[in-house]
Amino acid sequence: MNKYKLTNVKIHIIALCLVIIAEFIGAKKLNVGFGVIALFPMLYALVLGGIMSLPSLRILKEKEMTKSANVLGVSFILIVSKLGTMLGPSIVKVFQEGWALLFQEIGHFIGTIIIALPIAVLLGMKRETIGATYSIDRENNLAIIYEKFGPESEESKGAIGVYIFGTLFGAIYLGLLASILGGTRFFSPLALAMGAGVGSGSTMAAAAGALIVLFPDFKDDILVFSGAANLATTILGTFICAFISLPLAERFYNWLEPRIGRRKKKNLDNQGGASYEK
Amino acid sequence: MKNNALILTIIGGITLIGNWISFKVSPIDSILGMIILIIIALVGVWLSKIIPIKVESPTVIWVSVLALLLTSPIFPGHETISQFTDKINFMALTTPVLTYAGLSVGKDINTFKKLGIRIVIVSLLVYTGTFLLASIFAEIVLRFNGTI
Repeated sequence: MNKYKLTNVKIHIIALCLVIIAEFIGAKKLNVGFGVIALFPMLYALVLGGIMSLPSLRILKEKEMTKSANVLGVSFILIVSKLGTMLGPSIVKVFQEGWALLFQEIGHFIGTIIIALPIAVLLGMKRETIGATYSIDRENNLAIIYEKFGPESEESKGAIGVYIFGTLFGAIYLGLLASILGGTRFFSPLALAMGAGVGSGSTMAAAAGALIVLFPDFKDDILVFSGAANLATTILGTFICAFISLPLAERFYNWLEPRIGRRKKKNLDNQGGASYEK
Repeated sequence: MKNNALILTIIGGITLIGNWISFKVSPIDSILGMIILIIIALVGVWLSKIIPIKVESPTVIWVSVLALLLTSPIFPGHETISQFTDKINFMALTTPVLTYAGLSVGKDINTFKKLGIRIVIVSLLVYTGTFLLASIFAEIVLRFNGTI
């Protein structure tokens, strides 16, 4: 029963302090050579919290970090609830952009394969490529890979790598990317808002947050459309990833790997190892 | 359920303070909105357990559906609900949530250090790809439709 006791006073007090500090600093635009980077409270809180949790600082115990992760899992529902109440009043507007929302979902699902898969193969990754690039590898995507290839497979190792990266840096990276893409002025805030709906709540929040700092006049539309796209990605996600993205990534890999994959002795050894295991 | 309620109340409380600092909305004005959001979240979680329709990510879907229905024009009193929930700024809500994400980073950092540089590059490209291509597709359709 203790496992479910999430009322750890220490982490909540730390969280409260970090939130107060972060909100007092407030949103800032940082001019860098190639554009503007949006900085805002949730990023400060994320980074400060991350630093405090570093094992070498010994501020937090492993158990307290696990509790923070549990709290995160529950608190996320509140974001969903808030986004829902923002979608309701704008529901007509959302349906008016139904085609854009539908088509951008295709972008969400094939974007990982088109951009990341060829580079992974060029870098010399083998079947890890399939798991790593068929989706953004959140929890539900990991379940799909485990089921098809087994948790110990090369494919699963690739997926776990991206999962860990996403857990640690997904939000902060997408916040930066949203700043950079927003700064190009090629995209409208609405299109970027939809792009931000990658299917992970905290990641979407960070990207939408950056867009709001850059385009304050579009604040409501940014939240409504990133929320709608995120919901669409979540609803369609598991189905499309299992039945379309994964077979597609596997075929693309099988076709591409003999053409541009690296041939090294090390890789041959790995293959030998794999067949020996069978 | 009791634990969920407690956690949401704590996060809600922290959010009200953040909302006060950043958006100058006094907690007295925003507390009712937060209570509504928490009730929607808890009822949504409960719904996801009792509704027998099998969907992926049931919590996300049923909480969203409930929140959406209660604030959409078809629901009588939707304006009153929106009026209260609008007091809670989305950005104020995400700050505490991401704080807990930060505080849990340490438990994965050692696993991360064992990952190779290749998987990090590929991860960056995976996130770039999904965001960039969706934005490009959205931009094309929005321009085609004349929305922008």
